[in-house]
Amino acid sequence: MELKTVELTKQYGKKKAVDCMNITLTEGIYGLLGANGAGKTTLMRLLCGLQRPTGGRILLDGQGIGRLGEEYRDLLGYLPQGFGYYPDFRAIDFLLYIAALKGLEGKAAERKAWELLEEVGLSREARHRIRTFSGGMKQRLGIAQAMLNDPRILILDEPTTGLDPKERVRFRNLISAFSKRRIVILSTHIVSDVESIAERILVMKSGRIVHCGRPGEITSEIRGQVWECAIPAEQADRYVAQLNVSNLRNERDGRTVLRVIARDKPMPNAKLAEPNLEDLYLYYFREEDTGGGRRRGSGPLAAASGAAPGCRASRDNGAAAAEGLSGEASGCDRDGEWKGGDIR
Amino acid sequence: MRKLMGYELRKLFGRRLTQAALLAAVLFSALFTVSTYQNKYASYGGRQASGGEAVALDKEVAARYAGELTDEKVRQMMDELAPKSGPQGLNAIYLYQNAMQSAVTARFSDMYGNWNGLRVAQVFGEEEIRIGYVDGWLSASRDMEKSFLFLSFAILIMLAPVYSGEYGGVDNLILASRYGRTKCASAKALAGILAAVLVTAGMLACNVGAAYLLYGREGLDCSILFAPLTLTEGYIPFNIPCGALLGYQALLSLTGAVCTAGVGLVLSAACRTPMIAVVASAAVHIAPTLLPVAESSPLFRLLALLPVYQMQFEALMSLGQLEGGMPYAVLALPVSAGILAVGYALSRRIFAAHEVS
Repeated sequence: MELKTVELTKQYGKKKAVDCMNITLTEGIYGLLGANGAGKTTLMRLLCGLQRPTGGRILLDGQGIGRLGEEYRDLLGYLPQGFGYYPDFRAIDFLLYIAALKGLEGKAAERKAWELLEEVGLSREARHRIRTFSGGMKQRLGIAQAMLNDPRILILDEPTTGLDPKERVRFRNLISAFSKRRIVILSTHIVSDVESIAERILVMKSGRIVHCGRPGEITSEIRGQVWECAIPAEQADRYVAQLNVSNLRNERDGRTVLRVIARDKPMPNAKLAEPNLEDLYLYYFREEDTGGGRRRGSGPLAAASGAAPGCRASRDNGAAAAEGLSGEASGCDRDGEWKGGDIR
Repeated sequence: MRKLMGYELRKLFGRRLTQAALLAAVLFSALFTVSTYQNKYASYGGRQASGGEAVALDKEVAARYAGELTDEKVRQMMDELAPKSGPQGLNAIYLYQNAMQSAVTARFSDMYGNWNGLRVAQVFGEEEIRIGYVDGWLSASRDMEKSFLFLSFAILIMLAPVYSGEYGGVDNLILASRYGRTKCASAKALAGILAAVLVTAGMLACNVGAAYLLYGREGLDCSILFAPLTLTEGYIPFNIPCGALLGYQALLSLTGAVCTAGVGLVLSAACRTPMIAVVASAAVHIAPTLLPVAESSPLFRLLALLPVYQMQFEALMSLGQLEGGMPYAVLALPVSAGILAVGYALSRRIFAAHEVS
């Protein structure tokens, strides 16, 4: 099974939420990382056929998903971000309703619904009205409904929102067990959710996939740019404001150890550290998450988060680096034009 | 499909606002019925009565003259029932003592309560006019008209969330599912139409049942043309029995409900929230009555076929008959079928094709 986007574009007015995207997804778990507004939800809606592309196509095994219609939707399981529900429905009734929408009927539907309620830990609340559920319980119900039809393509938008750590572990195990011979795409801000189960990470920014690879591989892109340095605790605030800090740890001796993402050694005592996905996330999205350009061009550390390997234009901020990568990763150049090549 | 329709009906009737709207329509209807019954007044032979006693007295008077209306019977009624003079010289036609007296003086009295010289054939042509106690059923019919107008708004409130209620987020799940764009969209429309028909039939049954309990069976075979003055103005200009009138009213209330459902479903699919859908569909529903079109205008003959007039039915019935004697109002049937078909297909299509946001 191969799900492929060909020059997929979705535009709202002048803004391109998905910009000339070419990806090919085969069986496995894909973690979609990106900041708010990166276009993740739009991409997922396009893949589910819930929005029509402004340009380009989505193909399943070479056939357009629009043409496949019911046949395609029969393969699909989808958990939208902040999914809607009927407050007065009981959990089991809600699942049976969704089961009916998916074409499951009778005993088979009931059996599957109860089985999933058990798996997401809601079997005891099956006959409770959804309006009495906590956020985490609703989210688990959402996960259950997405899996009702044993989908071959499972698309989960922020599935771990509202889940406590124990529930997140349960969710990860559930998805891992479920993913055999299926395409699973899950988007999240919580890097650790995808780090442990995703076989591929897609990093999305400004409507483009700026990077794709196995978790170990893609972090290697920033190998040599992650530093740990100890500073006096009282100076921590100043450094955090100036540097791209992915972690801060207070030591008992009154020092603070900063984990910094920077191209050049940020201070003399800094030591290189092994990068992880959170570092990578910050590397790409630091500017957006902090309101943009706070450190641009300021002080000796301005270039620290700068150009990454593959960047064609030398700029002094992380965004430039990310854009430089986008051309190579997504097959589009910086103006969004197709250069050839897919992500696999 | 049946299962999906069951879920849709459950959603429709499970909403608090729908329940409140339907309850309000039922309460209004009950209020109209009770109020009309309680306000009945009759005086005859020195006796005065109101409410149920007035109904009994009216029936007693009607029984004395029941049967075909003849010139002799008119003279007899004028002699026995017509008031000879009104207080402060009020036209005798407007003096009300009982239903039969009002019916006869309205047509055969001069302003002093004397016979105006008209014969039955001059007033009613060659029609055979059967007279009897029609006041009860015709009053019930008028009450039903008001009730159905209220009910039509309740139906619009009920149907507003059918599609628009899903746009808050459940549409993501529905449209991504196998049958979301096909069977589910159809089930929604069909459930909406069925719900509209069910509540209308329920309201009709309640009203007819109540009228039967309050007024009995008398008068169902009598002509609607020999009715008390208060029920004749602008009324249906052809001779049909009370029972047939109620049959047409029942038919038009159902076609009106179906039409209303068709319009409501389209606007439910087109509007992003149930509240906008309610306001839009109520505005569209009531708009024909606000247009400056006289009832004598040919355009009114078209407007009168729209749902709001079907529910009101009297204005539509007053447009006379087609060649062959059928009321013009029967044209509401093909019009309803058309609106229903368009409403079903269009609402389904709008929902299935919409992009989630």
